[in-house]
Amino acid sequence: MKARARLRLIVIYLGAAIVLAGTVGPFLWLVSSSFQYERQLLNRPPQWLPNPIVLDSYREIFEGAVLGEASGVPYQSRIFLRSFANSFFVAGSVAAIAVLVGAYAAYPLARLTFRGRSVLLFGILASRLIPALSLAIPIVLVAKRIGMSDKIVTLVFINLSFILPYVIWLLQSYFKTIPIELEDAGRIDGCSRLQVVHKIILPLSLPGLTSAGILAFLLTWGEFLFALLLSETPASYTSTVVVSLFATDVDVSFVSIITAGVVSVIPPIGFALIFQRFIISGLLSGSLKG
Amino acid sequence: MQFQRPNTRKEPSQGMLAILFSAPAVLIIAATILAPFCIAVFLSLHNWNLKRPGRERFVGLENYIDWLTDSDFWEPLRTTFTFAILAVVVIVLLSLLISLLLNEKFPGRGILRALLLVPWAIPSVVNALLWKWLLNPQYGLVNAVLFELGIITEYQNVLGSMPSVMIWLVIAYSWIHIPLATLLLLSGLQTIPGDIYESAIVDGANIWGRFRYITLPLLRPMLSIVIIFEMIFALKVFDIIFVLTAGGPADATNVLGWQIYTETFRKLDFGAGSSIAMLLGAITLALAILFYAILDRGAER
Amino acid sequence: MHRSKTLFLLLSIMILLVGGGAFAQDDGLKLTGWPYEVDVVTENLGRFTDQSGHDAVFLPFPSNEYHDKMVASFVAGTEFDVAYVRDSYLAEWASAGWILPITGLPGADELLADLPAGIIEQMSYDGEVYGLPYYSGVQTMAYNAAHLEAAGIEAPPETWSEMLEQAQMIKEAGVVEYPILMQLRSGENYLLREWETLTASRGGKLFDDDFNPLFHLEGSAAWQALDWLTEGLDAGVIDPASLTDDDGTLLMAAGTTSFMTTTDYTLKAMNDPEQSNAAGSIKNALIPGANEVRSGTWGYVRLYAITNNAEDKDAAWQLVQFLGGKDATGVYFVPKRWALEFGLGFSPAPLYEDEEVRNSISGWIDPDLLSEQSEYAISRPYRFVPFFSDWEIGSWGPLQAAILGDADKGEVLNDLAEEWNELKEDWGY
Repeated sequence: MKARARLRLIVIYLGAAIVLAGTVGPFLWLVSSSFQYERQLLNRPPQWLPNPIVLDSYREIFEGAVLGEASGVPYQSRIFLRSFANSFFVAGSVAAIAVLVGAYAAYPLARLTFRGRSVLLFGILASRLIPALSLAIPIVLVAKRIGMSDKIVTLVFINLSFILPYVIWLLQSYFKTIPIELEDAGRIDGCSRLQVVHKIILPLSLPGLTSAGILAFLLTWGEFLFALLLSETPASYTSTVVVSLFATDVDVSFVSIITAGVVSVIPPIGFALIFQRFIISGLLSGSLKG
Repeated sequence: MQFQRPNTRKEPSQGMLAILFSAPAVLIIAATILAPFCIAVFLSLHNWNLKRPGRERFVGLENYIDWLTDSDFWEPLRTTFTFAILAVVVIVLLSLLISLLLNEKFPGRGILRALLLVPWAIPSVVNALLWKWLLNPQYGLVNAVLFELGIITEYQNVLGSMPSVMIWLVIAYSWIHIPLATLLLLSGLQTIPGDIYESAIVDGANIWGRFRYITLPLLRPMLSIVIIFEMIFALKVFDIIFVLTAGGPADATNVLGWQIYTETFRKLDFGAGSSIAMLLGAITLALAILFYAILDRGAER
Repeated sequence: MHRSKTLFLLLSIMILLVGGGAFAQDDGLKLTGWPYEVDVVTENLGRFTDQSGHDAVFLPFPSNEYHDKMVASFVAGTEFDVAYVRDSYLAEWASAGWILPITGLPGADELLADLPAGIIEQMSYDGEVYGLPYYSGVQTMAYNAAHLEAAGIEAPPETWSEMLEQAQMIKEAGVVEYPILMQLRSGENYLLREWETLTASRGGKLFDDDFNPLFHLEGSAAWQALDWLTEGLDAGVIDPASLTDDDGTLLMAAGTTSFMTTTDYTLKAMNDPEQSNAAGSIKNALIPGANEVRSGTWGYVRLYAITNNAEDKDAAWQLVQFLGGKDATGVYFVPKRWALEFGLGFSPAPLYEDEEVRNSISGWIDPDLLSEQSEYAISRPYRFVPFFSDWEIGSWGPLQAAILGDADKGEVLNDLAEEWNELKEDWGY
């Protein structure tokens, strides 16, 4: 039995190593490149490890953020970390609101029988079937007309409406896995539908809610098209817009782009690390026994 | 709060409850999308080229008919389907494997789960740069690795011809999308109670048996969601095409997403751009309903 | 339940913390463009404000998405008073009425008188001039002198067939695998521009001055150009990456390419030791010719234009004059600064004579050769009809297929000519 357990671990770690190499491998190249000189990125064969380790691009980003114009670093580097505030605001609000609002909308789709359920289910999804590119200009047009362009609140709404359909579909599927008996028991105890949702469905769906939140945060954090089209001043740039600003028509600062990319990864991964401990199994089996 | 009086008030009907519960979400979506969507529909029914101001006119379904009778629609549609089928198969299979692995308990699992999200967390412009660099025929890393391993004898321009360009587009695209699918499947796996497996082991089921008769059926609802989502994403593919091939070489990767972009943003022909987008939307909707009927009906237990 | 409450609490705190980032709105002139040297632009605007009393702010957008961003902005009613424009977008933006002509505005004639006719043509649509130049230049040839030396070649090629021969020698000497890079990529305007260069340097044009296609005629320069590409690709001296690569500058900088035609300012990056492994070896030469034709090229212009939504049009025109022409003291302050400190190409005649400017650019490019190159520039009026981009987009796929030999050249060219003629008739040209 002990040998079996060891074999199991070996197989798992082997698999994990392959997965890690596949997913994180290319990212490590980005990390390595961010510490090199621009010309070294063109070496053949490639320069796998930085030599020497060049910290300039990191220094520029952090000095620029702290010292502002006094730092003497290029404009793009100065505003990059500051744009994180906007990205945080948008992605955080979208994640919180999408999970909250999405959960309520998902419940009837999972549990209630009513006419037009399929229409609602697919109607919600329908908004996501048209490519964003062809809705982009109408959205910018409407936003401008109602005085909502160049505001990050607008980005919250747009990202929300794009992500809610996914969250709702995800959660309704998740809710269906919760045994109906639990809900019936709650109803017999006198819970209203709302109380059923609050006391039974939501607590038991923590892994699903968390996945939905991480999904919403990551999708929004990386959103570029609308962040670009709706911004008019640096006050509303998100980090994805600033990363693209390193391409200037005359030249492209590749190392700066790469460094900005590496730094951009930290917040969403940190977010996932913090929240994914809620993606745990055993919630259901425990409650069935209890 | 623990001991509550039995609820004697009359509850609203289930239909009413459904409206109340879904109202906030539906309102948010409608408030943001409805007007732009109507504008897009309106444009699709018009001859509307921004470069010819003052000549806009209603043409009914003419734009649609033009597309449906034009190989500029059918060829990209075929390319889109080829891409989408390959991408969805690769993504679903790999993310299923990865999520099964990450569902096992082992030290370091939490970190691995978070790191898995990295490809998805990289900003798209940097992702684009990354793949451009990886696939470059002169200083590209993919070439260097394959060359060092002795798999190729000279550097290849993988984006230069079919089928390698399609294969690498699918790889690059899947790399970015697998984290999402894995995350969803993983949360689906959490809903399968561990005691079912325990009793199956007692009954003598092997790994395959457990997967086939427990995991797969119980994961089916989430699996269908993942398949439908990934299909929707893949049919709309644009970003990776825009960066790596711009529809080339010789239109080999000209997908509908690219076509919509060039019509709308480059030719400024909003009528043509909107109508082809509507067609793609309709096709996607039909497929989503079809998939849902097949996948989810079977999953209703 | 406890956990999910913590989750929401954390999120709400985070949102509150960063939510209050409101910035003050500016009432002055708004200039937009791509983010090249933002601080220098801002500094220049400071000088403008001092001289004119008008506040002005520069709000740049990513270069690669600048076109699409501005399309959305114009459709919705743009915030910006003055915008950078690439000449390849000029016909489109002018025909849509998004930018305004400057012809006849006070002081315009005087500034235009200092500009070469070719530059003015590149800023014109339908008989009106739409702005003043930011930077401009010509397509030239870059080559890696070290590669030529290693293969025992003394001088860069003067004809295209000589280029193939030299490339063969470089390849055989084992210096690089694919000595020639041609930018034949789908998207933007890579392919058409390369085709124009190859055609011009064979003494031809794609269209005549009445916008009739010439490229499909048997034996035309344009047809020969495609044949040359096919020949080079088949011989393995033109890099197959030509059909996919979007930044040949990097390949020159990597030292894996010996020849390419390129925009003049890119030589600066190719010769920058920080960015380039081939720094110091990259030289410019005249674009080769064919038979008795010496060379051929075309010019490009990036210009400043007033948008249709500019609130104070007089102030916007003042800004355009300051940026693209003279400042209040009567000197070409901004153009000279770009040329002197950043090596950007300039158009106003007085700057050609400026010793300071000449000395500063000679560090990375040969100014005499460059000015000779610009003498061979052809005019391309057909580029400034509004349907050119429609036709161009449809040409990428068929042209690539023809170059690769996947489709019959004659058929492809005839189809493209037919498509052009249909568009031309439809637009009433």
